[in-house]
Amino acid sequence: MADVVRFASMGTRVELHRFGAGDDDALTAAQRAIEAVDDALTIHRPSATTALNERLMAGQGAAIDDALLFDALVTIEELNASTLGLFDPAADRRFGVAGWSAIAFDRGAAWVEASQPVALDFGGFGKGFALDRACAVLREKGVVSACLSAGESSIAVVGEHPLGGGWPFAVPHPLRPDEILVEIELTDESVSISSTVGAGTGAPERAAMIRPADATIVSAPRCLVAIDRLGAHAEAMSTALLVADKDRAERLLNGDRTRRFLFDFPRGAAIPDQSARMHFND
Amino acid sequence: MTDKDFDLSRRSFIDRVLMATAGAGIAAAAPWASAAVSAAPLAKGDRVRLGVIGTGDRGRALIQNIAKTRNCTVAAICDNFELHLAKGRALVDASTRAFTDHRAMLDAGGLDAVVVATPLDLHKQQSLDAFDAGLHVWCEKAMARTIDDCGAMVKKSQDSGKVLQIGHQRMFKPTYLNAVRRAKEGEIGAITQIRASWHRQSSWRRPVPTGATDRQINWRLYRDSSAGLMTELATHQIQVGNLFFDAVPTRVMGSGSICFWKDGREVYDHVALIYEYAGGRKLIYTSLLNNARYGCEEQIQGSKGTIEPELGRIYQELPPKELALLRMQADVASGKKRTVPIGGATWFAELPVTTPGDSLGWGEYDETMLQFEGFGEAVRTGKPLPGLLSQAYSASVASLLGEQAMDSGQILNWPTSLVAI
Repeated sequence: MADVVRFASMGTRVELHRFGAGDDDALTAAQRAIEAVDDALTIHRPSATTALNERLMAGQGAAIDDALLFDALVTIEELNASTLGLFDPAADRRFGVAGWSAIAFDRGAAWVEASQPVALDFGGFGKGFALDRACAVLREKGVVSACLSAGESSIAVVGEHPLGGGWPFAVPHPLRPDEILVEIELTDESVSISSTVGAGTGAPERAAMIRPADATIVSAPRCLVAIDRLGAHAEAMSTALLVADKDRAERLLNGDRTRRFLFDFPRGAAIPDQSARMHFND
Repeated sequence: MTDKDFDLSRRSFIDRVLMATAGAGIAAAAPWASAAVSAAPLAKGDRVRLGVIGTGDRGRALIQNIAKTRNCTVAAICDNFELHLAKGRALVDASTRAFTDHRAMLDAGGLDAVVVATPLDLHKQQSLDAFDAGLHVWCEKAMARTIDDCGAMVKKSQDSGKVLQIGHQRMFKPTYLNAVRRAKEGEIGAITQIRASWHRQSSWRRPVPTGATDRQINWRLYRDSSAGLMTELATHQIQVGNLFFDAVPTRVMGSGSICFWKDGREVYDHVALIYEYAGGRKLIYTSLLNNARYGCEEQIQGSKGTIEPELGRIYQELPPKELALLRMQADVASGKKRTVPIGGATWFAELPVTTPGDSLGWGEYDETMLQFEGFGEAVRTGKPLPGLLSQAYSASVASLLGEQAMDSGQILNWPTSLVAI
């Protein structure tokens, strides 16, 4: 048995492919799990996150009543520490260097406050976090082989490939799409791909990547591929490596050289392809 | 804005028109534009003398535009509603003659041409009267209330040897001309469909001042004086469609309704039409008055890209992308395990469409002034701007044919009895 659901969520196209065993409603339940994360973490419509941001921007503390948002904050706090502070969903050019370090999260009291105005934007982390939730639902529903994609830059797999062994994926070169940058195999794992160059990076809806240390926009041409047991962790690692300086990049890569890949390209290659959207020269 | 700044904005605008109309393809497609920019400036006493019939909102805007041109002047104004005439007087020299009857203005002489900015049902007779008085005519769009009346205006212009020009300012706008040039150069491939819309959040109903009647002020809402959205808005965009398709429609079908503003009006507040062109090409048109989300735009859709002239944007089609995950499903079904390419172009949800912003603001030289300078040159030389009347005639006929199609519920073919231009 093989089935698939496709839908738009978290600002991208999501596909859930299931092979073999599992409850009939497994994919539907997984879709609901992803949509629930989107509802809680989105900043593009009213959500628990936008309510939190409004209070933090106003210099007020906030109780965290939403369970998904609470879990996300717990995960983020851990990931911020494990990535040397480089994964920072509170990094924002408007507020200079104020980021996650300005936030105090009291887990016991489920209370968040900040020493100066900040706002959270979960970005790619949200996709990985949502895929983790969906994978958990699928496993609960008896699924043993599944591939989940959120915009093809965030992939999670459950179990082995339906024909056995790992799931083979190839990441194209962001500047030369006919070439392969790296090939990987996943089993019960997730991968996150982040890049400052290539198709899509010049799209107007895409937010710039901010370096937490100085709140500048990261423009150096770089591509990251990070694999982890959890999608949220993979997303955090690829984001952190994208903004890391040489020293900290080395430290993070040394954590697992077989599952973290960093590609720097010549600086001239940093010009994003704007051909799909340009102004008249009138 | 100082005179110097205005001259600079004029020069900049003209340069943009010249740049947009450079090239054989666009010169053939929009020959009126390059003719208009070559209009010679005239000394104050030598300028083309215009009599403006109708000094309502639109007529007064035209008076202000004419005052900015270098070859035309308003020599007389006329309106049968005193309040509007008084507002018109405030915009012109005290010596400018004012009339309450257009025939009296024509009889008084001293004019080279008239500008007709009255309700649609009056266009034909006032234009014919002007031609009979030996004058040239600039008339607001749409041309007239019926297709026959449009034809009568064209015929009279031809028989009298006088210029008839219809106000379609988009035909002089650099953004549009540039868009046509790039389309003619093949940049968006074969154009097979145009989606055009003009959506507003407005009742279109104006307050009626003391001394006026509702039908006098809100003439756009009543059938005897207007075809509503079709003649007031659609005619502009159908002309754009004809220009990009380089053709007139072969037939039209549509649906119209008074769907929201049930306030006694007689014209539709929602229209949706399909105009077919040779080869199966289509202009899909909608206009409505209770939702402005998608504003005013034409989406020129070709095999290689899309142009949105109002937003001034061009989009290239991306090459079709292989759906890697879909292929994975097929592979597994056939027992093959192949590497799945991922991490390519991120898929985005539908791109947002924004309502175009406000106009550039009063004071800068713009397409309305250019079209009058072109008209002034046409009057001075006695030669109409090439190709322009044909465009306007076709657009007016198409808008009125659309009205007929909606009223009858029939698919209507393009008329075969039109006046040849």
